[in-house]
Amino acid sequence: MHSRPLWRLAVHSLLLVAALVMVLPLLWIVLTAFKERNEVFSLVPQWLPARPTFNNFLGVLDAMPFWRYYWNTLVVAFGLLTIQLVTITLAAYAFARMEFWGRDVLFILLLVQLMIAPQSTVIQNYLTLSGLGLLDTRLGIMAPYLASAFGTFLLRQTFKSIPKELEEAASLDGCGGFRFLAHIAVPLAVPGYLAFALVSLTYHWNEFFWPLVITETSKARTLTLGLGIFAQTAEGSADWTMLMAATLMVIAVPVMCFLIFQRRFINSFMQSGLGG
Amino acid sequence: MNQTVEGKVPAHALPGAGAVGIRVQVKPRNRLLSIARPYLYILPTFFFLFIFTHYPILKTFHLSMFKWNLATPKREFVGLANYLQAWSTPLFWQVLQNNVLFALGMVPLTLALALGLALLINQKIRGLAIYRALLFYPTMIPMAAAAMIWLWILTPNYGLLNYYGRWLGLPDIHWLGHSRLALWALVLVGVWKRLGYYMVIFLAGLQVIPEHLYEAAIIEGASPWHRFWRVTFPLLSPTTFFVAIMAVIDSFQAIDQVYLMTGGGPGNATNLFIFYIYQNAFRFFDFGYASAVSGILFLILLTLTVLAFRMLHRRVHYA
Repeated sequence: MHSRPLWRLAVHSLLLVAALVMVLPLLWIVLTAFKERNEVFSLVPQWLPARPTFNNFLGVLDAMPFWRYYWNTLVVAFGLLTIQLVTITLAAYAFARMEFWGRDVLFILLLVQLMIAPQSTVIQNYLTLSGLGLLDTRLGIMAPYLASAFGTFLLRQTFKSIPKELEEAASLDGCGGFRFLAHIAVPLAVPGYLAFALVSLTYHWNEFFWPLVITETSKARTLTLGLGIFAQTAEGSADWTMLMAATLMVIAVPVMCFLIFQRRFINSFMQSGLGG
Repeated sequence: MNQTVEGKVPAHALPGAGAVGIRVQVKPRNRLLSIARPYLYILPTFFFLFIFTHYPILKTFHLSMFKWNLATPKREFVGLANYLQAWSTPLFWQVLQNNVLFALGMVPLTLALALGLALLINQKIRGLAIYRALLFYPTMIPMAAAAMIWLWILTPNYGLLNYYGRWLGLPDIHWLGHSRLALWALVLVGVWKRLGYYMVIFLAGLQVIPEHLYEAAIIEGASPWHRFWRVTFPLLSPTTFFVAIMAVIDSFQAIDQVYLMTGGGPGNATNLFIFYIYQNAFRFFDFGYASAVSGILFLILLTLTVLAFRMLHRRVHYA
């Protein structure tokens, strides 16, 4: 049945239509970004730019502190990931391979983070960070995510699958406790770490709302937020070509990484569905 | 690191079990350490978790019982007055209605399309990886960027959508300025952005359905239609239910596209929960009332998530 040519043709054409619907908007903004400012004000849209220009991209660099936003985003996304890797490794290892009083209750308290919308605690977190003097800082943007229930959950599954015999053998060879974790468990969990890293980096690269609440100046603002703020300035809202150039500059690197490592990204996000 | 405890080593694995017993004698100090160790391991996580997750949940409910705004800068205990205020505010009900409509638009559409695409992608065809990447990539880009893209496509006169609409003989539509259509424009953007993600989750669900069930169905002479409704759909139902709940939760968390595309307008027609909270807290500085609305949202989402988690458990047992 599946090999009938007619059936295959139908599957391909449906997928092609769907893929086009997803891709045409992207293509349209890419082409818009290379047009001259007034070229887009035409009742009959032209797909290809008449005189392709890079001026919009240069204009964006003048109109907003683009590299500052970029640096902030890198610091937030990778700095956060670094701290998360430490917190989730230790917690996941304890929950996966140690017996202790109150473990199950504590695990449920951890999962609470997955069950609530981060947006519903925004007010109190804003007040807390204000009290700590962390408003308008990159650390403030990272703060609510330093512990990750999703990461802990994901790694716990991996650590659990390491056979007990391996730990016993290692411990007899003097590689027990923390050394077992560092030299054996962590290397074995690399696929789990990778999945977590890709989801975490994507999420925090893209995050808009929390940085919006917590920042006041461009000092700590991230790219996504910078784009949103640029769109609401006079310059950004009047000039579609420049706005599309800015959008393209914000998404270029992540989209490129995705196209290169697409299988890894998709597998990571598949796992994130299990964790919420 | 000599913290191996008696009884952990299976006797049959060792020729001289007695010798091990001697080796693993635990000193009192080590014993204390081995009791404390797991708690030390989870301490960093629970330190942050308490400050930024547990405490804010409790504190939000606490704050929701105070009058605390620009007019009353010193907070004043008022009991449930903020909840009663929400109850008697027409805008609160409109926001709730908007959000329910938004979910009703998003969820069935996303689910049906995502499942359909997952079924197509699950066929053994050429170019599968390319299709999958093209359908999935909107998950990777920020919602803020998606909002910009669609602002441009939906814009009146010069927008791509209106151009092809005119081409089909439709009148020029100012999608985001129309009180009925603006919400559906946001639905469109939401579906476009989330479709690929849910497709992939469905794909994961489809891949654990055992092949032999289909083989048996084919031998029995079941048509593809029957195979879908009798094999695929029932076995996929935990995934479907899980995705549905996630999608509902997603639609109650939508804020970026509201903030960037409509600002809640025209006339609050696209004002959704989180945006309403944001407005009250950070534009009108009414922290007490905003906390009460947060509390209500929290309870709605908690109910939905508990449902999703129960489904998730069932799904894990399935696989």
